[in-house]
Amino acid sequence: MGQTRLRLFGLVAAVLMIGMACGGTNTSGSSSPGKTYKIGLVTDIGGLNDMSFNHLADVGLEQAKTKLHIQGDVVESKTGDDYIPNLTNFASKGYDLVIGVGFLMGPAVGTVSGQFPNVHFAIIDSAGTDANGNDLMHTNVVSLLFKEQDAGAMVGVIAGMLEKEGKNKKNQGVISAVGGVSIPPVNHYIAGYKWAATMEDPGIKVQVGYSNDFTDPSKCKSVAQSQISAGSDVVFQVAGGCGLGALQAAGQAGVSSIGVDADQKTADPSVIASALKKVDVATFTAIQDVVNNQFQSGVLTFDIANGGAGYALDNVTLPADVQAELDKVQGEIKSGALTPPDTIPA
Amino acid sequence: MGTGAIVARPQPPRLSRVVNRVVGGLAMPLGSVVFAFVVGALIVAATGENPFSAYAALACGGLGIGCTQGENPALQISNAIVFAIPLITTGVAVALPFRAGLFNIGAEGQLLAGSIACTAIGIEFRTLPEIVLLPMVLVGGAVAGSLWAGVAGVLKATVGAHEVVTTIMMNYIAQWFLRYLIIGGPLQLAAGTSRSSPIGPGAQLATLLPASNSLIIFGLPASVYRVHVGLFLALAAAAAFAFLLWRTTLGYEIRAVGQSQKAARYAGVSVRRTIIVTMLIAGAFSGLAGAIQIAGVDHNLTDKFFSDTTGFDAIAVALLGLGSAVGIVLAALLFGALHAGGSVMQQDAGISGNLVLVLQALILFSIAANFVGAIRQQIPWFRRPMAPPPAAPVAALMTEAGAPDTGSTGI
Repeated sequence: MGQTRLRLFGLVAAVLMIGMACGGTNTSGSSSPGKTYKIGLVTDIGGLNDMSFNHLADVGLEQAKTKLHIQGDVVESKTGDDYIPNLTNFASKGYDLVIGVGFLMGPAVGTVSGQFPNVHFAIIDSAGTDANGNDLMHTNVVSLLFKEQDAGAMVGVIAGMLEKEGKNKKNQGVISAVGGVSIPPVNHYIAGYKWAATMEDPGIKVQVGYSNDFTDPSKCKSVAQSQISAGSDVVFQVAGGCGLGALQAAGQAGVSSIGVDADQKTADPSVIASALKKVDVATFTAIQDVVNNQFQSGVLTFDIANGGAGYALDNVTLPADVQAELDKVQGEIKSGALTPPDTIPA
Repeated sequence: MGTGAIVARPQPPRLSRVVNRVVGGLAMPLGSVVFAFVVGALIVAATGENPFSAYAALACGGLGIGCTQGENPALQISNAIVFAIPLITTGVAVALPFRAGLFNIGAEGQLLAGSIACTAIGIEFRTLPEIVLLPMVLVGGAVAGSLWAGVAGVLKATVGAHEVVTTIMMNYIAQWFLRYLIIGGPLQLAAGTSRSSPIGPGAQLATLLPASNSLIIFGLPASVYRVHVGLFLALAAAAAFAFLLWRTTLGYEIRAVGQSQKAARYAGVSVRRTIIVTMLIAGAFSGLAGAIQIAGVDHNLTDKFFSDTTGFDAIAVALLGLGSAVGIVLAALLFGALHAGGSVMQQDAGISGNLVLVLQALILFSIAANFVGAIRQQIPWFRRPMAPPPAAPVAALMTEAGAPDTGSTGI
């Protein structure tokens, strides 16, 4: 008697579960009359509070929510294992545009964009690639790339000029950069930085180190500390959340630092400037293109000339001649008279 | 599950006894999970969100049940299983040494060693056919993990170096070695990348469904369902673990060493040999987990392994599963479901996926603090029918040292 009841209970439970599992399968693909565009944003493992490009992508999405009246949803990736499930989830729910943030998501976007040819994808800093890193050239993917070297050059001018004029603490003619991993977007920044600093002060020494990490501040801190003890007066962090540790190291040692991607003025009092990569502008542009039915696959490039890159002055008052030089260099990069390199000069 | 087998016996025991035994076995892990969810709900409510919508979204994302916002249940279940597969195998790798009284905190490093070996072999011999290459990468991964754990085993057995310290250190060595290999080292795909090239097609584990973008199953392209043959390998590993532990001489020796090294030595068991062999086998399980992950899901080494936590989650899985094979599989499925559900919870209910990490921590905390055992002691109805007292601390429970007199908490 009791056993039969137990079995019956199990049977009912099983039937219920199967029924529930099958019930929701046919919900995708329904289109409503007054169309609200649905945009999904997937961060990389840096998360929304990285004070860097994930944060900026979210800012762009929020702007689009207010100005373009879209439905915007964000999901943070906790590990690299989450990239494909998170992208797939948005795509399978029939989102109009799915945005992947960061170079590391290239292969995941390549895979998922192949599975959902009718969904638009945008990827910041990369393309939809295969496992070998080759662009698959899917017609539903747009790459949002930046000339980070433009922004790097602007802060390079500041660092180089200050060091040349002896405004810094040690004045041993040394500045430095802490990169995350040696990947193109990181090296673009450092290339522009070193190029511009050397242009302003040909005798300057620019140390470049990598933490091989984008998330753990302690790793960047130790790289920055060894650079500072080797005489660096200005530490330029190019390592996302990890780089916040480099800013702190500069603050503790009483030297200057430069933030990256977003304006990192509040991250540490030592931050004198930030190299800006306007991921918010890029994200908003990509969403706007979809909403206006102007989506085009391929590459959209953002630089100083079109307002997609730049710099911010933070906890510092620049001497007039440095400011004048900054304005001059910015104008020349805009006009094309100067072109910062995208590989780190020797 | 167990009731079916018991029902078929000629002399069925009283149902109340069966139920009591099942309840007794499940009370601690289930109670811990319930505790975690209740406290988690309070935390959600305290932040001004709705815990019911949070858990509804979590159930949708993890179990494919009750999805309201267009999620595909089959896809969610598939994702949860993919996350659970490495947890099963590494969970076993933590539970086995636990039975011998050893704390294997190095499952992560052993997993990395396994995935490095799998990738290196899969790239080096990429042209070999599947029938040769696939066993090579899996066995290679298991051997690499085994050697990695064996170092700690030998150090413990010979100079008495504590395995907690050595396995943790070996984790760091594996992680930095991996960084070197794919950033500037011999496995790097190309300058400016932080990944290896993909393993040969013959080294890849097949998915259960065809990896086709055009075939539509459950309303989505078949290639989105990533559950792979590694699932069966993981289940086989769990079964092998149970068989080894309860049906072999070595398993008996492992349990004997775990209960009392002195008694085991007196009974003629070589404690040193048992410790080394236990660590070798445990490392093989972890290494296999890493190899399966590369062969079945990733197909190359990437920087995601820098922040991978599978080997640490495995400790919680082994504890929640009370060190039994079935328990580990169930606990791994729960953790896989939580992982898959976290993203959906963030999308649908707007609650940070970090809540999942809080829940996992609460489960572990509850097991460690043994709330359930303490509560059960206060309820006579619960206590009476139990043959072995369930109130022993979990470490003791898993090592079987939890004889009545050592159950020190809450009594």
